[in-house]
Amino acid sequence: MKQNNIRNFSIIAHIDHGKSTLADRILEHTEAITEREKQDQLLDSMDLERERGITIKLNAVALKYKKDGEEYLLNLIDTPGHVDFTYEVSRSLAACEGALLVVDAAQGVEAQTLANLYLALENNLKIIPVINKIDLPNADPERVKKELIDTLGFEEDEIVLASAKEGIGIKELLDTVVDKVDPPKGDANGELQALVFDSFFDPYRGIVASIRIVNGTLKSNDKIKMMATGAAYDVVELGIKTPKELKVSSLSVGDVGYVTASIKDIKDVKVGDTITSIAKPANTPLPGYRPMKPMVFCGLYPIESSKYNEMKEALEKLNLNDAALTFEPETSKALGFGFRCGFLGLLHMDIIKERLEREFKIDIIATSPSVIYDVLKTDGTTLLVDSPAKMPDRVAIKEVREPYIKASIFVPSEYIGPIMELCQQKRGTYINLDYIDQIRVNIQYEIPLSEVVYDFFDKLKSSTKGYASFDYEPIGYKESDLVKMDILLNGEVVDALSIIVHRDFAYERGKQIVENLRKLIPRQQFEVPIQASIGAKIIARSDIKAIRKNVLAKCYGGDVSRKRKLLEKQKEGKKKMKQIGNVEIPQEAFLSVLSMDED
Amino acid sequence: MSMSIYIHIPFCTNICSYCNFSKMFYKQKWVEQYLTKLEEEIFNKYKNEKINTLYIGGGTPSCLELPSLEKLLKILSNIKLQDKGEYTIEFNPEDLVEEKIKLISKYNINRVSIGVQTFNSRHLKTLNRKTDYEFLAKGIELLNKYGIDNISLDLMYGFNGQTKDELKDDLIKFTSLKIKHISTYSLILESNTSLFINDYKEIDPDLESDFYFMIINFLEEKGFNQYELSNFSKKGYESKHNLVYWNNENYYGFGLSAASYIEDERIVNTSSINSYFEGKTVREVEKLNRDDIIKYHLMLGFRKTKGININEFEKKYNINILSINNIEKLVEEGRLKISEGYIYIPREYLYLSNDILVELI
Repeated sequence: MKQNNIRNFSIIAHIDHGKSTLADRILEHTEAITEREKQDQLLDSMDLERERGITIKLNAVALKYKKDGEEYLLNLIDTPGHVDFTYEVSRSLAACEGALLVVDAAQGVEAQTLANLYLALENNLKIIPVINKIDLPNADPERVKKELIDTLGFEEDEIVLASAKEGIGIKELLDTVVDKVDPPKGDANGELQALVFDSFFDPYRGIVASIRIVNGTLKSNDKIKMMATGAAYDVVELGIKTPKELKVSSLSVGDVGYVTASIKDIKDVKVGDTITSIAKPANTPLPGYRPMKPMVFCGLYPIESSKYNEMKEALEKLNLNDAALTFEPETSKALGFGFRCGFLGLLHMDIIKERLEREFKIDIIATSPSVIYDVLKTDGTTLLVDSPAKMPDRVAIKEVREPYIKASIFVPSEYIGPIMELCQQKRGTYINLDYIDQIRVNIQYEIPLSEVVYDFFDKLKSSTKGYASFDYEPIGYKESDLVKMDILLNGEVVDALSIIVHRDFAYERGKQIVENLRKLIPRQQFEVPIQASIGAKIIARSDIKAIRKNVLAKCYGGDVSRKRKLLEKQKEGKKKMKQIGNVEIPQEAFLSVLSMDED
Repeated sequence: MSMSIYIHIPFCTNICSYCNFSKMFYKQKWVEQYLTKLEEEIFNKYKNEKINTLYIGGGTPSCLELPSLEKLLKILSNIKLQDKGEYTIEFNPEDLVEEKIKLISKYNINRVSIGVQTFNSRHLKTLNRKTDYEFLAKGIELLNKYGIDNISLDLMYGFNGQTKDELKDDLIKFTSLKIKHISTYSLILESNTSLFINDYKEIDPDLESDFYFMIINFLEEKGFNQYELSNFSKKGYESKHNLVYWNNENYYGFGLSAASYIEDERIVNTSSINSYFEGKTVREVEKLNRDDIIKYHLMLGFRKTKGININEFEKKYNINILSINNIEKLVEEGRLKISEGYIYIPREYLYLSNDILVELI
């Protein structure tokens, strides 16, 4: 394909605005898939993605398209739509020259529409605004058009109206991509620079790296080098996804495809690295990415301790194409050997947990999430604390600082009151309030990240009937009056249940956790006190009553097999509990600090 | 080797709201077909052994119309019952009419188990049952008149909203009757029952436990000895048939959904009447190894208040019971006790027996 006839673009949108459906429609329109292969959300290949209706990992597909008798190659790169995955978005955008900015015709501009737009602009992409779902009865394309013009500065004639579901506007959209998005620059005969924007491990082929050729040409059997790690390999296979994998003999400037080279060591390929050729190496690597730092941490422990090594391998494999995931060994008195894991956010944490359980079949216990605290000790040294267990003794602490975020909340103006109330409850500081149009506002608050980690999303949704959208960015550390709160069962501290909490909220939260645990932990043989304490001071207490009934009194007319089955079932249930001291605790208890319902 | 037989009659003229046993509405056509098939099953499986205990349960065997009842009893008269063998039939209170009583006595039935459950009208309504105290008292007189004095009543407790006074009222009425045996069960919410479908809320387990101990104390005072988790009797009137189960001994079960335990196999019959009519009698067979048999022995034996005889256990299985799994630990904890050659669950832990049993299986 002529370099001039290649267009590389991605689709960006707020979650649920129809990005993946639009991608599907584009695939159909370009006949990349036949009617028979139709399946919703084609680019979302993980089961988890289809089930949750979100895109987690990015995917690229090469499409052929004809306009005015001329054939073009369109490389479409899908992006995740959730705030946790901003990093992934920036990765895919670096491989493009253009982006479709999809906005829902009923909901209009949302928090992540803006966040993604700014990312695209940072990457110098040509933006094509698309108003999607114009077929819906509550669609208001005129209002949304006005938002795009007034708040985002687009021209009216740039905006494409579409309904991905009904297939309206798809041709126009593709024509616009051909006309408006620049063909890739770069020199096909220059030194090879290929950007690795994703990779995954295939048990037969080793690492499969998704690449975008920025300069030069890559051929099968070329000798290549990873510029950051220095590792050298012989290319085994080159290909493109159509979306089926199609082997090719070479990839040239502007092409998006994949490369395998029998790479077994996952450390050799870093996403964001540049591949060059050994014969004619480039002088400098491509800019790569700013690495994303994990913001939320929790302990993950295999329920069966024998699965520790298996879990380590699983985390390494997940880490391969999810550089934002971090993990290091951790030991808990209560839970044994496990890992302290770092995540971009709560959804990211949920997804890793689910992938461990589903794809790797490892049952895990997760402890409640924590952020990284910056602790200044009385001896003048500082310490980064990502787990309550690592918090030094109170007398050794001079000052604790915690990470803050700037939250942007888009919401109809009638919910300003509840949002402000919620943000105050979450120790937020008011920054600003903008009207986006006559009915919707953008409220900005500075909030401690640790509060967002608790139940902020759920509360936000319930207090606005789901109308609020939310985006955040870290803004650094601030001093806070934080204390470590321990939970005691039967008088013994359970390290995996400790949390760090603001002193003013400690009493309420302690009461709530103790109450949650009382409901979650089944009755035991003895009465078991549950206590919350700060240092030696008990601030809340509840008791698990001793069990008084557990019996199969009925005769069942001699069908004693049935009795045995009921007992076996009870025994299985018992196995799933974690024995701490002489108390049996169900898995969910370790996350009980998360649910803070006032009921 | 001694042998017992259970016969299941799945027909009812009235379906109780809590019942998840195999049962169906009374249809004369089905009754006749059923009795034919039952006779076939007995003929095919029963090997003419001498039988210690014979028990007709349901369902509601007493609801069979007189000719059908007689047909059933005639079929069963082919079974060789030992001289002092126990022969029980379950009765609903409203079926205690003279001609039926006369009939069962004619066929040598010597024990009647009556499904009373409660006399409280509010709770009877919950259960969708009918029981009248006066009618029942007359029925018991009639049974005595025809020479049947071994009478057992079912007592149910633990209804949502039941008070201690209501339970006491039932206990007084039960013990005022001329009976020898009481079986007592808390109301258990089972799936596929109308209570379950109608979202019945179960009673607080603490209160239920209080009720249980209240029943034990009351009945013991009235001379009913608790010999098993749920069963009480006057001296010498323990249910021999139920003890067959708890002693892990062999028995045949004939009829829909009936369970058998023969030669290291636990067999459960189909609960589908159509399969039964087609002669596909058996639903599942559990083949037991020595380990399974020991587990069953523990699970069942510890239901008896007297417990398990340590020497007999060793003789039977060639293993000291104290060396099994967690038994020593449980003895140390006081959740099992040893006395006069028996090991047993002490009374205060009876209502928590599952906690103990799960450590043994």
